[in-house]
Amino acid sequence: MMNGKEYIDSLRNLNLEIYFFGQKIKSIVDEPMFQPHIHTAAMTYELAHDPEYEQIMTASSHLTGERINRFTHIHHSIDDLVKKVRMMRLLGQKTGTCFQRCVGLDGLNAVYVTTYDIDQKHGTNYHERFKNYLLEVQKNDLMPSGAMTDARGDRSLRPSKQQHPDAYLHIKERLKDGIIVSGMKAHITGAINSHEIITMPTRTMGEEDKDFALSFAIPADAKGVTYIFSRQTNDTRRLDGVLDGGNPKYGIVGGEAIIVFKDVFVPWERVFMAGEYDFTNELVETFAGYHRSNYGGCKVGLADVVIGGSNWIAEAHGINGASHIIDKLTEMIAMAETCWSCTLACSYEGHQTPSGAYHIHPLLANVTKLNITRMVYEWMRLAQDVAGGKIITLPSEKDLENPETMEILTECFAGKEGFPPMDIIKMLRLIENMSVGAGLPEAMHGAGSPAAQKIMIARRSGVDRKMDLAKIISGISKDTYFEDIIGKDEDAHWNEVKKKIKEKKVQLY
Amino acid sequence: MFSIGIRYCGGCNPQIDRSRIIRNLKNGLKKIGLSVNFNADKKRDVDILLLINGCMHACLEEEYRREGNNPPFISVKGEMVNDHYIEEKSIPEFLINKIMDLLNSSSK
Repeated sequence: MMNGKEYIDSLRNLNLEIYFFGQKIKSIVDEPMFQPHIHTAAMTYELAHDPEYEQIMTASSHLTGERINRFTHIHHSIDDLVKKVRMMRLLGQKTGTCFQRCVGLDGLNAVYVTTYDIDQKHGTNYHERFKNYLLEVQKNDLMPSGAMTDARGDRSLRPSKQQHPDAYLHIKERLKDGIIVSGMKAHITGAINSHEIITMPTRTMGEEDKDFALSFAIPADAKGVTYIFSRQTNDTRRLDGVLDGGNPKYGIVGGEAIIVFKDVFVPWERVFMAGEYDFTNELVETFAGYHRSNYGGCKVGLADVVIGGSNWIAEAHGINGASHIIDKLTEMIAMAETCWSCTLACSYEGHQTPSGAYHIHPLLANVTKLNITRMVYEWMRLAQDVAGGKIITLPSEKDLENPETMEILTECFAGKEGFPPMDIIKMLRLIENMSVGAGLPEAMHGAGSPAAQKIMIARRSGVDRKMDLAKIISGISKDTYFEDIIGKDEDAHWNEVKKKIKEKKVQLY
Repeated sequence: MFSIGIRYCGGCNPQIDRSRIIRNLKNGLKKIGLSVNFNADKKRDVDILLLINGCMHACLEEEYRREGNNPPFISVKGEMVNDHYIEEKSIPEFLINKIMDLLNSSSK
């Protein structure tokens, strides 16, 4: 297993073609713009070496029995599923942001589960291929990015009917030794600081979309792969200094990129789906289930940080005893723990799949994520409320360093005794970073937008059975238990009751 | 007579109608003229166990896995039987085929 520093050093061996700000980037490892994202991913490596956290940060490989980083593990028990979300919360607490590596973990697990099922039906050998790939990932402690979302063009048209064929990643040519693929994947978290890319289809495909029913893995610097890094709120503050960045060590969100595949060759041994459109729904839903469950872990870890920050600011401002502040902080805690309860529940209610790997409870995972799309906004709103207007009117750190303005600003931002003004500003910047920035829409759209969760919830809610329950309780359908309890037919019972009332043979009337 | 022990999970929030599946299974077996003795008495020896879990979490299964595969069991867990995904309406038929296979293999 690599540690944090070894992970960062390993990125130097990659020869990636990355564009940002109209420029081709020479080395992401040395650029302050990208370093926070790299530090965050490095935390997933570093904590695996700390005895205090190794119980949840590492696992025993089901393939080799060796100790591996949990981010490369295939869940093989309920305990694994629970430890996975505990790991998410822990990393959220340690970084205050998205640590990116869970997407690849979910991709590994979803492809593992689905390739087994494809082989059962079609007699293919994807699962064996995938296990060989997994061995490589585990042995070298690699970080694959999970590339699912396609550019998608006109959403009303199927992939094969798009004006621009590259709107969806697809097979251009099938060769003896592999396939040639082209297309685009969008919003891919951690893409520029991953060693590998695992692709998955973005939606259910039909027979006409066979060439879009595609999953494979390639090295991140494979020939023909280009990255265009996305902007985030306040990203260039990283180039202004340290303090204004808010979370200068770990950044705002995961760091997303568009990945362009231009005539990329993928050898067959790294192809895990090539035309089996009847399994695209399973792969998408399995991945989405795993990924949506994570949000009740990672975002709650972030909530722990922002709740702590809000409490500290309240103390620094001398308002921590005010009942409305206590109420707001308690509300934040209750919401965060509600989301935590959801993710624990969907893990504890998980099940074994035919592949032997374990999957979370899909309905509860979608409920988890739907709550996140709402509650993150709400607890961040309360953080802004508690922190006060200063989070959006703070002066620049350059003014704090300027001898002409430094003294007056220090006086202006003084709080309760024992809280240095500079610390107050640091904490306000952190809260600003976490509650105003790109982390909010990330909570909304990451792992799928609310509508996607609602589709899954509606599909899996078992509403017909709920109607049956209501029909029994209301008396529309027969209630055999009730009849056993009263020892007679229900109609006969009510006739007796009515008769008693009519004849005034009841005490209370 | 071939005997099947039926065991139900707690039934907190089943995704399938467990009793309907058993009813349809019994009717299906009757239709093909197969005599099978079903019982839910845990003390009686049976040839196989039929674990009826309401969902894929399969609370019952872990308990019976710990006891080994003796007697062998078929596990219904939501819309899944053993390691096959099966739609609810097709579960009775799938079970009949499984039971027939077991009967055939035990008579060899």
